[in-house]
Amino acid sequence: MKKIKIAPSTKSGASHWLHQRISAIAMIPLTIWIAFSGIYISQDPFNYISVFFAYPLNAVMAILLIAISLFHGSIGMRVIIEDYVSNKAKKYFYIIFIDLLSIATAIAGILAIIRLHLIG
Amino acid sequence: MNKKPTSPHIQIYRWNISSLTSIMHRMSGVVLYATMIILCWYIVYYAYQINYIDNPQNRNCECWFTNIFKPFFYVILFALVSALYYHFFNGIRHLLWDIGKGFGINTAKKTGILVIILTILAAIITIVSGFLIRF
Repeated sequence: MKKIKIAPSTKSGASHWLHQRISAIAMIPLTIWIAFSGIYISQDPFNYISVFFAYPLNAVMAILLIAISLFHGSIGMRVIIEDYVSNKAKKYFYIIFIDLLSIATAIAGILAIIRLHLIG
Repeated sequence: MNKKPTSPHIQIYRWNISSLTSIMHRMSGVVLYATMIILCWYIVYYAYQINYIDNPQNRNCECWFTNIFKPFFYVILFALVSALYYHFFNGIRHLLWDIGKGFGINTAKKTGILVIILTILAAIITIVSGFLIRF
């Protein structure tokens, strides 16, 4: 039988596929954590948020959640943009916009969690 | 003018459980991404107010933001919680597909219905336990 030669992709699709799966597996425990902490905080939001992030486990989980979910989300949004936007210039504009928005939001959110952890 | 047959358009396409769960996975993903961005900036806004908690007039905030969303609050909350659980359960289904499990047509249909039932159950349990459980 003739062996079919598969040309390797010259673009970044394969690595995105793998990163999306790895971050999806990492999101499973974080989703369970955010469900329970959401129920906990909703008891008395104004009093609990300040105390909540003082616990090291909660601060670490919140930082991981922000970083991994925005990473996972930016890859997902990139795939959606690649599927539905055909104009090349617009496509790259939206992809770069999503990437920059995700990075800026992640840095600002992590800094805020660290601040709440330290003053809480 | 153009007599060529076109592929089935979204309006006349017969919905089945596979296409429904697939498009809902995307839509819930976009909703969750937007929620995460807003939530992060809300935490930034919260963290950088000095002694916000100590100021008693801030506790029952009567600002325009809360007033607009108050009537829709539980509807929005339920939608967001069910989007989270839907993406969670359907994501596990996708991960199982990636390791090669559950590809049969009937199996895929059954797991799709199971995902929707689990989503509704988990969302209701979460919202209700937010009311009932006191720590």
